[in-house]
Amino acid sequence: MDEKRRRFEAQVMPHLDAAFRFARWLSRSPGDADDIVQDAVLRAYRGFNALRGSDAKGWLLAIVRNCHATSVSQLRRRALVPLPEEHDVRDGHVLVADTGDPQHESILADEARTLDELIAALPQDYREVLILREIEELDYREIAGVVNVPIGTVMSRLSRARAALKKHWHLRASGDTHGTS
Amino acid sequence: MAHPDSQRLEAYFDNEISAPDAADIDLHVEQCAECRTQLQDLVRLRAALRQDLGHYQVPQAMRTRLARALDQESGTDSRRPSRVPFWAGAFGGACATAMVAVIAFVIFFPPPGNALVDQLVDAHLRSLMPDHLIDVESTDKHTVKPWFAGHADVSPAVGDFEQQGYRLMGGRADYVDRQRAAVIVYQHGAHLINVFSWADDRRGLPRSLTRNGYQLVFWRSGDLDYCAISDTAPDELQRLIGLLQALGELRGINPGVNRNPPG
Ligand SMILES: [Zn+2]
Repeated sequence: MDEKRRRFEAQVMPHLDAAFRFARWLSRSPGDADDIVQDAVLRAYRGFNALRGSDAKGWLLAIVRNCHATSVSQLRRRALVPLPEEHDVRDGHVLVADTGDPQHESILADEARTLDELIAALPQDYREVLILREIEELDYREIAGVVNVPIGTVMSRLSRARAALKKHWHLRASGDTHGTS
Repeated sequence: MAHPDSQRLEAYFDNEISAPDAADIDLHVEQCAECRTQLQDLVRLRAALRQDLGHYQVPQAMRTRLARALDQESGTDSRRPSRVPFWAGAFGGACATAMVAVIAFVIFFPPPGNALVDQLVDAHLRSLMPDHLIDVESTDKHTVKPWFAGHADVSPAVGDFEQQGYRLMGGRADYVDRQRAAVIVYQHGAHLINVFSWADDRRGLPRSLTRNGYQLVFWRSGDLDYCAISDTAPDELQRLIGLLQALGELRGINPGVNRNPPG
């Protein structure tokens, strides 16, 4: 194993699970996640000499995010289902991707839904920030780097994603207490 | 001080504000039930997310595929015959066999303590769900300690370190490694710390590590094994452990295992 490969294995490959999880939550499909990660790892390897500093995790996740954005199935999906832009989402409104699919529209209102599905129903802008913070434990600065927005935007998106989930958390909790069906 | 707005409270929860600001919010949160509820929601949400979404791992087949793709990329395709001199053949063969054995060992025999670590992380996550944290709610060590005598097989060191910023919240009986364990719960700022203790069985403890974003630190004191687990900063967790260990030394040779376990 040559020197570059050895350093790559030591610095980047430990974050493979993180890359896979992130790809999975971006694409909402395990099959797509496989392709995205494979693509991302090879691109990361080719560009490895450009990596400066120690933030290999954020760097790899940013590449995963790019690969996801350009992946064929994602382009197809985008054409069919435009996600709302930030200015379309008003405060107090439930953050759900407007898929035009009636089954999707009620997702956040249905207390029986799993957390899994609640996350999947968040628009990508909110979903990715939430996942990077809560699952991958990146700090605000690192998230800003991966998503390429200012830290203030990271904070407001994170806060609104949490608020959306918490709201349904409470619905579910009160449903449990009162035993409503 | 007025309630911090939700973004500021979340920045506090995420350890993203300066120490003096955090100290201000510490003070406020001590007195504000509303903000404590907000923080508790954040703790629960994080625990639920990590429990539900944090376990996805790259399948082994995919790792193998990636390794092969990288081999091709770096021009060191491992399937190519190696150019070693013929006299090195026998030696190389032995090495290769040893390598395969090592790899097989790593794959099929995870390091000891893995199951223990999984159990502890699961127990910690479970404890963050509503109504699972505490069986005996008390900020008084004189209440918590005797309670363990009736509900767990061990009586661990229980200290009240409110002065140092670690508030005793209570205790809980749990299971670790099929043994009854005593859990002491502390609150430190926005974070909860579970301190598990169980009778030492001389099998050795895992090294301290991070799993699913939670820090686990193991130590032994007297005849008990301890594990502290939390998502607080590592040095903050270490400080509580220092306090607990000092307490253990004070107790001296007092056995921690209840010789007449209940039931
Ligand atoms: Zn308050």
